Amino acid sequence: MATPKEMLTTWDKVQFGAVLPSFEDPEHKKRSKFHSYNYSVADWRVEKPVFNRDLCIDCDFCWVSCPDSCFIVEEVVNKRGKKQAKIVGINYNLCKGCGVCVEVCPTPIKSLLMFPEYVDNDEALKQWPKKD
Amino acid sequence: MKNITNLKEFACTPDRFQGGHRLCPGCAHSMIVREVVNATDDDLVISTATGCLEVCSAIYPYTSWDVSWIHIGFENAAAAISGAEAMYKALSKKDKLYNEDRRIKFVAFGGDGGTYDIGFQSLSGAAERGHDFLYVCLDNENYANTGGQRSSATPLGAHTSTTPRGRVSYGEKQRKKDLTMIMAAHGCPYVATAIPSTKHWKDLATKAAKAISTVGPTFINALSPCTTEWKFKPEETTEIADLAVETCAFPLYEIEDGHKLRITYRPKQKIPIEEYLSRQGRFAHLFKPENKWIIEEWQKNVDEYWDYLQRREEAGV
Amino acid sequence: MAQKYELKSKEVWDGNMAAAHALRQAQVDVVAAYPITPSTPIVQNYAQFLADGYVDGEFVMVESEHSAMSACVGAAAAGGRVATATSSQGYALMVEVLYQASGMRLPIVMTVVNRALASPLNIHGDHSDLYLGRDAGWIHLIANNPQEAYDMTLCAFKIAEDERVRLPVTTNQDGFLVSHTAQVVKPLQDEDAYKFIGEYKPLNPMLDTKNPVTYGAQTEEEWHFEHKANQHKALMDSPAVIKEVFDEFEKISGRKYNLVETYKLDDADIALVLMGSAYETAILAVDKAREEGIKVGLLMPRVFRPFPYNEVAEKLKNVKAVAALDRSAPMGTTGALYNEVAGALAANGQSAIMTNYIYGLGGRDTTVEHILDVIKETNENAKAGKRVTDLQGFINLRGPKLSFN
Repeated sequence: MATPKEMLTTWDKVQFGAVLPSFEDPEHKKRSKFHSYNYSVADWRVEKPVFNRDLCIDCDFCWVSCPDSCFIVEEVVNKRGKKQAKIVGINYNLCKGCGVCVEVCPTPIKSLLMFPEYVDNDEALKQWPKKD
Repeated sequence: MKNITNLKEFACTPDRFQGGHRLCPGCAHSMIVREVVNATDDDLVISTATGCLEVCSAIYPYTSWDVSWIHIGFENAAAAISGAEAMYKALSKKDKLYNEDRRIKFVAFGGDGGTYDIGFQSLSGAAERGHDFLYVCLDNENYANTGGQRSSATPLGAHTSTTPRGRVSYGEKQRKKDLTMIMAAHGCPYVATAIPSTKHWKDLATKAAKAISTVGPTFINALSPCTTEWKFKPEETTEIADLAVETCAFPLYEIEDGHKLRITYRPKQKIPIEEYLSRQGRFAHLFKPENKWIIEEWQKNVDEYWDYLQRREEAGV
Repeated sequence: MAQKYELKSKEVWDGNMAAAHALRQAQVDVVAAYPITPSTPIVQNYAQFLADGYVDGEFVMVESEHSAMSACVGAAAAGGRVATATSSQGYALMVEVLYQASGMRLPIVMTVVNRALASPLNIHGDHSDLYLGRDAGWIHLIANNPQEAYDMTLCAFKIAEDERVRLPVTTNQDGFLVSHTAQVVKPLQDEDAYKFIGEYKPLNPMLDTKNPVTYGAQTEEEWHFEHKANQHKALMDSPAVIKEVFDEFEKISGRKYNLVETYKLDDADIALVLMGSAYETAILAVDKAREEGIKVGLLMPRVFRPFPYNEVAEKLKNVKAVAALDRSAPMGTTGALYNEVAGALAANGQSAIMTNYIYGLGGRDTTVEHILDVIKETNENAKAGKRVTDLQGFINLRGPKLSFN
């Protein structure tokens, strides 16, 4: 849990009242160095979810149930002119590998599967189960 | 009130509770928190009681929050938020608000320890005083942050580190306190139960949206299955939550104005309670022959409570 | 807009009314409080001001002192002026949150009416509650009479909210002896009082939701020490601002306050150190003793925290013997004021003979005669050039003599 070296400061330079600002640039929502978004919990994982865009139906079950806000979403407009979320990837800095996303993925062949951490994502996609 | 239609649209909400926190993998707390804070487009000021959520989302020099947030102590999340809400009222009266163009809503989070037990007095006080805020209890039925001790939310027969199963003990001796009804009895304009689940995501999000937009003290009791202390695999979190609802161990309902009860989900076929209990290590000992009576007792309690809810709904009281 | 309260140049107020008027004049944004004897009238008076339109802030009557201070912390972090009042058991219930308020550097003002701590239960004045909060990271100001209770409360806001300080402040007055004793108080007019305190200056307000902030993060072993040291530095540096505020207050009120108050100390051979209403009793005793030829003076830390140890030592540098009078049960050692003064003298290489007296617990009367006895005993030590009296004595205690050496 140690603080990364570059974040350690001395007694005279600690945050006043231990108050932490969420944003460095609030107007443009640029998160500050104090935001855990900029911290990595990747080393908690032994297995990682791999996302197969080709199979995804954008039900967004993974997005809503991810405890670590890992799913990267792009706002797109559907055929009926309504905005909808398109899952475009996983933020592996934030993912702890719990596997909930895989569990809730409803596609016949899952569009999310767990693989050992050391397996390359491209390799994982090649190993994806095929339709019988 | 934010119009929550479908998940595709809801998922366009920019997350205001971010990852990089240190909650356990598969933790239900953050699933619930994300849904709650995403259920409004208003600005938020949040207080959080000491507990897993607090300890894991604000470890100096990091914060996981994109909204103003405060943690003071274990027993005072409701008092803290009532102070902040009072300041908002005072500054609006005096024309001294920081951002005139923003509407601010107030939310407090606490675990069952910080809500059912040590924080109950301050919650009761804040509710009675009528502050405009939503209190969300992240009910994982034990003091998970300190290693799984029993709380007054711990259900009958559960093994916890202070009600361990042993040669002469079957674990927790008491039934879970019915906090949701107690909050309804305060006359809160809106109270509800909820779970984190893909099947019931809209139930939670809509309840949160409703609660946040309701003026006055509102309360949501969200069951938060705890992979670490209930002892199930991290990926099973939402499945366990679903089983709690399908067995009626934790029914989904809402109560308006302290008495108008509405069941928001009715299982097609109520599943036997064993299906729920058997999936959790904390209840494993109940399946020994000598503890069979506890499971029977559980089923009886669940049936009676479900029946009670249905009758209340039907009677409109 | 709050209505102006018409005040005469002289009012007859007890300490509670004086403190309540100071809160009203500060136009506090949020007062969150819980009633407790003997500070209850402060919040009652304040409630009446609100009911009569003299206050437009929020007044939150919470369900406990713990929640009172918690709501104060929430309100102060939200970004505005905050105050409360309490005593004794209520203060004790708040203690956890006192540390949080100071750690978050929130400039909350608390008007404390000092009272004993149970058990056994007692509603009268002593300094047990003040001593309980002495390490909580707050600035503690002492008032000996209703006028000072009023003046200190006005100064408290200005000190607390100064950018160089940003720490919570208590003002202390003795239960009943000050809080319920009506005396002539010369108040400032509302506009002068408010102008003196000034507008609240926001710092990291949670309600500025365009720029969200996190309060109350956890700092474990790699950060906690640095934060506490930083906070301690702010307290240690605060006397400069306190002096500035006192000077400015003198300009508008004509009343002069100091970090350390003294009475006839300049030519004194011996000194008594004490604080609170008994200081005024001691003034009478000093005058009497001087008539008898004993050159005695008094010293009182106006500011109990941060303790002005160098100023105390400087003022006491010419005395031969010092008696420190503590109005709190010392429970296993010498009294806190004794320890502070002894430490201050030792740190400056001074060797006045020091003794300790415990007095006035639970509102026990301490008269001019009692203090005269202390003066005479202390004078014995000065004359002998060594301690010939007990290290710790007890004033006006019934029964066989109790003392420790």
